Amino acid sequence: MQAQAGEAKLSLLATKIRERKPPTLSMAPMIDCVFLLLIFFMVSTTFSPIPGLRVQLPPPGKPSPDKPKGLTVRIANPEPGDDRGTMVLNDEVVQVDEMFNRFINAPEEATSMLIIQSEREVLHEQIVQVMDIAKQAGIDKIGFAVVARD
Amino acid sequence: MALNLSRRKKTGDDDDIPMAPMIDCVFLLLIFFMVSAVMRVPPPFTVTLPDSATKHEFTRKKYNLFISGDGRISIDDQEMLTLEDMELFLAAHENQISTLIIKADKRAKHGDVIDVVERAKQRSSKTEGLEIAFAVSEED
Repeated sequence: MQAQAGEAKLSLLATKIRERKPPTLSMAPMIDCVFLLLIFFMVSTTFSPIPGLRVQLPPPGKPSPDKPKGLTVRIANPEPGDDRGTMVLNDEVVQVDEMFNRFINAPEEATSMLIIQSEREVLHEQIVQVMDIAKQAGIDKIGFAVVARD
Repeated sequence: MALNLSRRKKTGDDDDIPMAPMIDCVFLLLIFFMVSAVMRVPPPFTVTLPDSATKHEFTRKKYNLFISGDGRISIDDQEMLTLEDMELFLAAHENQISTLIIKADKRAKHGDVIDVVERAKQRSSKTEGLEIAFAVSEED
């Protein structure tokens, strides 16, 4: 009986001693997690900008009735089996390679704006190519003619 | 001598690198990267961007518009089944889109691209109209 009571006292003492020890937060696993997250975000973050071509569009509203003064490139639907449509710059058929010179040699007032009037089946690649040539020739404003539909 | 020994014993005990400042730094870096991260969201179809020699640089943002070669449209990974859907989506996120970057496949038809441009422009309530850019290939 006495021995049992003594044992109980001892265990009480032991728990008391154990309680007095301050609880510690184990840091190591948390740091591991934080490092993993850090590495994940560092790797997945991309700071590189997206390269692109700005499209300048006329402000929304009704189209102006006067004939535009700038250059107009018209692009026809490509023939079957061909990737590129025929291009017409101000009533003259032009090839891609001579386009740059045409833009450069165009009168000053005409080079303020380029209007691309293209048929629907023309590939986007060709449009971007024309825009690229125009930007190289110093034409910053590029607009698209939209066919009015009813 | 005895003093020296006891000191050495003491320094030997916490000889480790102090962790607390390092953890502070790591947390700061973590928060910085978490805030600045813009996830690259792939569209549900593959898009090959056209090449261009001249390019302007735009900051990477959310809500890029993708157009596939066969005329499918998606905004980030959400596919837009009709142009009306796209218009509503753009209207709903108008405040978060300063420049609409259109990533159209090089074999996309001009008609599909211009439809998107026209719809996006119509929807925008800004007087200047929404700024629109065509993305080009990142390789030189």
